Amino acid sequence: GAMMRKVILLLLLLCFTAHTRGKLHSPPAKPGLTSCRSPEKETFTCWWKPGSDGGLPTTHALYYRKESSETVYECPDYHTAGENSCFFNKNDTSIWVNYNITVVATNALGRAFSDPVEIDVVYIVKPNPPEKVTVTVMEDKGWPFLRVSWEPPHKADTRSGWITLIYELRVKLEEEIDWEMHLAGQQKMFNIFSLRSGGKYLVEVRCKPDHGFWSEWSSTSYIKVPDYFHREKSTWILITVFSTFTFLILMWLLHMNRHNLKHCILPPVPGPKIKGFDKQLLKNGKSNQIFSALVVPDFPPATSSNYEDFQVEYLEVYVRREQELVLEESKDLHNSCLKSESSTSDCDSGRGSCDSHTLLMAKCREAKEGERQTDRECSPMRTEAQRRLKDWEEEALNYAHAGIVSLEMSSGRVKTWPSVFSPLPRYSSSPLDQQSSLQMAKQLSLSTSSYLTQPGHSTKEALGQSYWDLCLSSKQPHLLNPPTPVCRELQAHSDVNISSIGHKRAPAGPRSPALHTTEYVEVQRVDNKDTLLLQPVVQGCGRMGGCFQMPHGEVYSKVKGVDSDNVLLLQREGMGEDRCPCVEQETNEVTGSCHKSCTVSTTQKPSGCIYTAVPVRDEMATMANGYVDTATMCTLHTC
Amino acid sequence: MAHCGGTNGSKLFTMVLYMAAACGAIPISDLLDRASQRSDKLHSLSTTLTQDLDSHFPPIGRVIMPRPSMCHTSSLQTPNDKEQALQVSESDLLSLVRSLLQAWEDPLVVLSTSANTLPHPAQSIISNKIQELQEHSKSLGDGLVVLSGKMAPGAQTISSLPYFGGNDIGQDRISKLINFNFLLSCFRRDSHKIDSFLKILRCRAAKMLPEMC
Repeated sequence: GAMMRKVILLLLLLCFTAHTRGKLHSPPAKPGLTSCRSPEKETFTCWWKPGSDGGLPTTHALYYRKESSETVYECPDYHTAGENSCFFNKNDTSIWVNYNITVVATNALGRAFSDPVEIDVVYIVKPNPPEKVTVTVMEDKGWPFLRVSWEPPHKADTRSGWITLIYELRVKLEEEIDWEMHLAGQQKMFNIFSLRSGGKYLVEVRCKPDHGFWSEWSSTSYIKVPDYFHREKSTWILITVFSTFTFLILMWLLHMNRHNLKHCILPPVPGPKIKGFDKQLLKNGKSNQIFSALVVPDFPPATSSNYEDFQVEYLEVYVRREQELVLEESKDLHNSCLKSESSTSDCDSGRGSCDSHTLLMAKCREAKEGERQTDRECSPMRTEAQRRLKDWEEEALNYAHAGIVSLEMSSGRVKTWPSVFSPLPRYSSSPLDQQSSLQMAKQLSLSTSSYLTQPGHSTKEALGQSYWDLCLSSKQPHLLNPPTPVCRELQAHSDVNISSIGHKRAPAGPRSPALHTTEYVEVQRVDNKDTLLLQPVVQGCGRMGGCFQMPHGEVYSKVKGVDSDNVLLLQREGMGEDRCPCVEQETNEVTGSCHKSCTVSTTQKPSGCIYTAVPVRDEMATMANGYVDTATMCTLHTC
Repeated sequence: MAHCGGTNGSKLFTMVLYMAAACGAIPISDLLDRASQRSDKLHSLSTTLTQDLDSHFPPIGRVIMPRPSMCHTSSLQTPNDKEQALQVSESDLLSLVRSLLQAWEDPLVVLSTSANTLPHPAQSIISNKIQELQEHSKSLGDGLVVLSGKMAPGAQTISSLPYFGGNDIGQDRISKLINFNFLLSCFRRDSHKIDSFLKILRCRAAKMLPEMC
């Protein structure tokens, strides 16, 4: 009882103490053989790694068995090679024989066997590092080099050929990181060249059997290379001096030839070679003088020159009060004219605006008419047109009085045309006046055209109406002034291209399409036959400073002539953007027909000579600017 | 001393004859040097072959692999350590070498044929290397013939080590691989022996050139 209790207590105490230690006792874990190595193919050592000991003191034992026998031997030497190792001396070592080795861990609670390992000594050779590594600095024709020599590990028997070693060495400068490797083969000496002057080198050597593992690196050998820079320096000095000389010579050569070089690299810019062009003026910056210098003094021709000297077409303008009046519009006339005109003339695609002629008379008339009324839209009214026409006739007389060709009012036909336009130089002298008059003229022309475009009977009245209206519709205030001066001015500046004004002028109204370039016929003179000789006014091309362009393509009929019946023959001409602005008319009520002749298109750009047969409306030949429509004219004529 | 590693045995032989005819003979050390280079190459090849094979070898194979003592050349008595090896005479050593080499003439053919159908991922590489093995082996054998002529008559003795394995190395994949591996391991060991013996002979013959050994 008590004894039993004591035993139990003792046991409990033991257990308790065991617990308090915090360890759990168990059999040992399996150990493992890590490696076996032979340094010289004569002995070998095996190392193992023990597993956990299970909390109890554990012993390890190595057992081996040779290939051809079943006898199990235990490791002969556990100490020579250190902890957890087994050393096999020469007597115990056989080569070309497989060893089966096992390690056993034993403790109080159990045993653990490692996995068996089969080894053949000849395959596990790892020699010791080479010994007696010496590095010396030697000189080869003034250039130093390192000579490294060593000896094989003393245990390895290379003399008899039992073990064959090959060597490898590595070199680096003290401050470098990477080594320079050199395989030396079986030799025991090696030379290293290309040294840095004054550098400190580190050298290490290792070896390997022909069929085995590399040894560890030998201990590092240090060597310092002496300075030998004097030789290098002299070479560099030579090179520097030579290159400096060459450089100086090159520079001198360049300097001597700098002009040539300059010409080569930067060729001179050729100067302008315009006759009469003064470079000095250009440099001074007075452009006016320059351009004035460019102007040929005797161009354009002088005022007093006879116009006849110029190749100007005569225009015989015949103004009629009746339907044959150019500006009259009639449906039938229109149609017939269209048809007839289609064959007669073609759009003047080549002549350009310079060749177009406008009926200045018509313009004047319109101007006159227009001036008498306030600005308002022109509305076609026959009666008014009649009245206006009369007014116009009066005006024409006035014109004549002013030195303009008198308006011959005979049999209701007026042969009056705007006065001769003053020569260009006059115009050029007063550009401002020109402009205003131009504008007016433009207005007038516009009014004319609008008149023309208005439907109405082919009467002078209509014409006058339109004139009047157009004039009114012009935005020029001083158009309200006596028309005479206006017309005069118009005449005076008729040759000036009005198209410039047209640019600036806004369209007068729905009825009065935008002013476009208008052409004026320059009245040269009136001959004894009461024929008004007109000459086309070049639309500023080349005559004035600039050539004004019409914003829109408008076609004005040039007055071809006046025939015996006092019919104004208009020339089918295209005018507009310098080309035949035979544009399809479509605009307002003015007209929609595009006649075979060049018609004025107020809103559309000229797209070339379009010969379309749009039904003619009641209005006259559509000339947005009130210019005579050739078609109508022709129709009248033929009819 | 030239270390040309590329001359095969026949070339060696002709050169020897030429040299002999030219009133000058290639020193044995040279011949042995060349022979040892060839044997070195032979063994290196067999080592890499073993590594290639082991890359995809079934673990079970290692367990049931036949013992090396079952190699057909195991009956040949060869030194087991350095002392024994150094005591053998040159001619005997050469005889051993020649015997070993001779013993592997037929098994190499078997290896070669079975390498063509070896169920292994590196089969083509292995096959190529087996071919090389055969070539090197043959050239070495030819050279050794010349060598043996320069040595004592004992060098002419060649022990017969027949191979009884036949052409068949197994039916199923595992047995094929195992048998192939076994044969190769036997060859590896024997090639190492050949190489070692020749290098011993080389160093013995190069007494005038201590640099070599």
